Amino acid sequence: MAQLKADVLVIGGGATGAGVAWDAALRGFDTVLVERRDLAEGTSGRFHGLLHSGGRYVVKDPVAAEECVVENAILRRVIPDCIEDTGGLFVTTPDDDPGYGDQFLEGCRKAQLPTEEIDVAEALRRERRLNPAIRRAFTVPDAAIDAWKTVWTFARGAAAHGARILTYHRVVDLHTSGGAATGARLRNELTGEELDIEAGFTLNASGAWAAQILHMAGIEDVGVVPGKGIMIAMNHRLVNTVINRCTMPADGDILVPVRTVSVIGTTDIHAADPDEIPVTQAEVDQMLDDGERLVPGFREARALRVWAGVRPLFQDARAGEVTDTRDVSRAHAVVDHRERDGMDGLLTMSGGKLTTLRLMAQDLVDAMCAQLGTERPCRTAEERPPGTEEDEPYRIGSRLRRREETLQEEQLICECELIGRSTLEQAMRERGTTNLDDIRRKLRLGMGPCQGGFCIYRATGILHTTDRLDGAAASAALLGFLQERWKGVWPILYGDQLRQARLDDWIFQGLLDVEHLPAEDEVPA
Amino acid sequence: MSHHDVVVVGTGLAGLTAAVRLAEGGARVLVVAKGIGATHLSPGTIDVLGYAPERVERPSEALRPLIEAEPGHPYAHVGADGVAAAVAWLKDRVANGSLAPYAYVGSAEENLLLPTAVGVPRPSAVLPETMAGGDLRGGDPVCVVGFSALKDFHAALLADNLERSGVGVKARAIELDLRPEGRVDANALGFARAFEDEAFRNAVVAQVADRMRADERAAFPAVLGIADPHGVWATVEHGLGRPAFEVPTLPPSVPGMRLFAILRTALRRAGGSVLLNNVVIGADQTGGRVTALRTRVGLREERRGADWVVLATGGFASGGLALDSSWAGRETALGLPVTGVPAPGEERFRPGYFEEHPMGRAGVTVDRELRPVDAAGERVLENVVVAGATLAGAVPWREKSGDGLSLATGHRAAELVLAASTPAATVGS
Repeated sequence: MAQLKADVLVIGGGATGAGVAWDAALRGFDTVLVERRDLAEGTSGRFHGLLHSGGRYVVKDPVAAEECVVENAILRRVIPDCIEDTGGLFVTTPDDDPGYGDQFLEGCRKAQLPTEEIDVAEALRRERRLNPAIRRAFTVPDAAIDAWKTVWTFARGAAAHGARILTYHRVVDLHTSGGAATGARLRNELTGEELDIEAGFTLNASGAWAAQILHMAGIEDVGVVPGKGIMIAMNHRLVNTVINRCTMPADGDILVPVRTVSVIGTTDIHAADPDEIPVTQAEVDQMLDDGERLVPGFREARALRVWAGVRPLFQDARAGEVTDTRDVSRAHAVVDHRERDGMDGLLTMSGGKLTTLRLMAQDLVDAMCAQLGTERPCRTAEERPPGTEEDEPYRIGSRLRRREETLQEEQLICECELIGRSTLEQAMRERGTTNLDDIRRKLRLGMGPCQGGFCIYRATGILHTTDRLDGAAASAALLGFLQERWKGVWPILYGDQLRQARLDDWIFQGLLDVEHLPAEDEVPA
Repeated sequence: MSHHDVVVVGTGLAGLTAAVRLAEGGARVLVVAKGIGATHLSPGTIDVLGYAPERVERPSEALRPLIEAEPGHPYAHVGADGVAAAVAWLKDRVANGSLAPYAYVGSAEENLLLPTAVGVPRPSAVLPETMAGGDLRGGDPVCVVGFSALKDFHAALLADNLERSGVGVKARAIELDLRPEGRVDANALGFARAFEDEAFRNAVVAQVADRMRADERAAFPAVLGIADPHGVWATVEHGLGRPAFEVPTLPPSVPGMRLFAILRTALRRAGGSVLLNNVVIGADQTGGRVTALRTRVGLREERRGADWVVLATGGFASGGLALDSSWAGRETALGLPVTGVPAPGEERFRPGYFEEHPMGRAGVTVDRELRPVDAAGERVLENVVVAGATLAGAVPWREKSGDGLSLATGHRAAELVLAASTPAATVGS
């Protein structure tokens, strides 16, 4: 069996894990990150894309609000190209208590969150689709953040500092010895091969899946109750700034412009299993109604895709015994398994949110350094990951501008998301994946209105040539993508998107007859 | 207000078929449509019945048990004989049409097996002569010709999948770097126009002939000409000294555009006309009959009188049917009753893409004379006949019956109207 050795094993390839790997690698630790699927395929890639200003938390959770204020500013500095500076508004809809606005202002002042109440008329001038019946409006420095790009940026940065990023590697066992975590057994999910990794320290950044990991080390009483939230991406930017309902955090209270779409979120329903989070009809109806409250006519817009994510809500049976490591008012906390379970060399990050990923990583690596008795200061608040040095913040239209420069020289493969052939081929070569859904997350391939109706056949043909795949593997990639896409569209098929889906049925089934593609060949001997 | 014997709504295969047949029968026909129909999106083949649910070899034989098992299927209103009559009619119109000698071959008696652009052998009954050489029920090895500038056709993928499809036909791919007008990104129509150019065509033939083996037939994307497809195809075959055939590409569909052009010309020659950008938004009715259609033309509203209406606006893909965000289905032109849409809260789709979905067969239900009926089966309008993908009861993209259904029901709609109209009173007077 293959063996790996590292100072630090990071479990989980979401925002937290990528941030931790970047932080640890920057401090000079030899780091390995393992992820059972692709990067950002769990909670991080399944959120609404909001870089919080902190306004959401100023009344309910001031500590979290202050963290957001600081981290929002830091991320804008260190990963500018992952962020679009949309700004945000908190608006009092006819269903909200106007008095909350005063609490909100007071909370912002305490959290040092720059805000300003503007006239309703001014708010409506800035956002013309906004419900004209709103009664108050406040500006905040919310922004939109590309979660996939963020996670990839930090993972690439970690790799540039020597970290090894192992995607599609599932932890199947945690090794312990003499009351300390010593590493893990991994299974390569693509080849089925297993390998052992020996690690001086293990950092559990697996979010909603953290309890499953801890169970492998015999730690049974940390429970994670996955909180399911659904989000719907609507075609077009119905708004150009983030719109929040000015009320205590509730369902369906955020509308975020993300690139060429806008995302409404979200619900909160406890799920039994973080891998079983179906979208229900009732949730879709609720999101559409909530959208209608913020933007009248919302239901007439075209819904592109729906997805569900799971928040890592922690339930610690022994929370009372663990002294001040877990402050209930905080949004995230380091679970120290030495104090809690007598297990050295193992820490778990609990709770948290994408906006504070850098701080979470810093807290976790600081705690590790403390346990190791070494002093290595955190540098992630100043250091930019490689590849972000020259870049400006993302602006809507920048992809089109770049694309227009080469319009006569290369094929456009995905018209909706403006992906050229060379970009696609490069991503296929770099990723070394045969999974078109991985390419989708990397490039946004097939994420526009046609949801891959035209580009997926093309991408399959290119994948077949570029990766020298045989017909069976290429066909499996095509069929796999069609099923993944279907999962994200069928609950919201109405209006123009149903029309699109039916056209895609005609293309894939009527014209190409993909459902009769021959099954996978026998594996050659 | 204008007045016609028949106003046909929709300019896809069903609408054009009905309109041409009616005009030939002496009716004064007007076709109104929002835009071009689905011909430009479909393969251009007339698939009568490919799967039921096993692969069908003889469609006309398979139609009888299908009609017995599914009395609500649109084919049940046409019958196997009606399908055969419609096919014969279309083949005649194409053979004597504006692109002659370009012709359709085959019949509802048996299916050919034609490769799709992804390399699946797909059953089809009636097809352009330019595709017939692709029949995979036997025959020579295939040399698939791709073009690097045509992203909607991937020759190597086609060849690879064809080889392992079990039909026993050898296949391999070659790719040419010949570009219409030097463009790196040309669609099927761009290539079809380039193929009309002798120099381009000769360059293709020279390169293919150079790389083709003596026992092979050549598979091209369906781009062998748009104005003179027979001539282009024949010259290519002659130049290669080997058989050549077309494989449908992603839209835009060149064979579909040819078929549209043939039928539209046939309609004009028979005295009918087409008005695009006319969206039907309702109708004037008296005593269970439509007297006039209300159409929106830009910002203007117009009324068009008619003794008969043929509704052929298509299904959900074409906008003839729609589902709103409160999950109610509707027929968009006349507000006819729609059946097969599950109630809100009930399951509309299954989680597996290739499963049969509960609302897959939704549409307008009709009686044996193609008149729309309500949930109780009562005829709602006497002088409206419905044809094509608007009809409930079929899943044509799974059955591979798409253009067969449109052709057969469009043809049947015309026959019904002609039979019901007394010559002296309305038609041909």
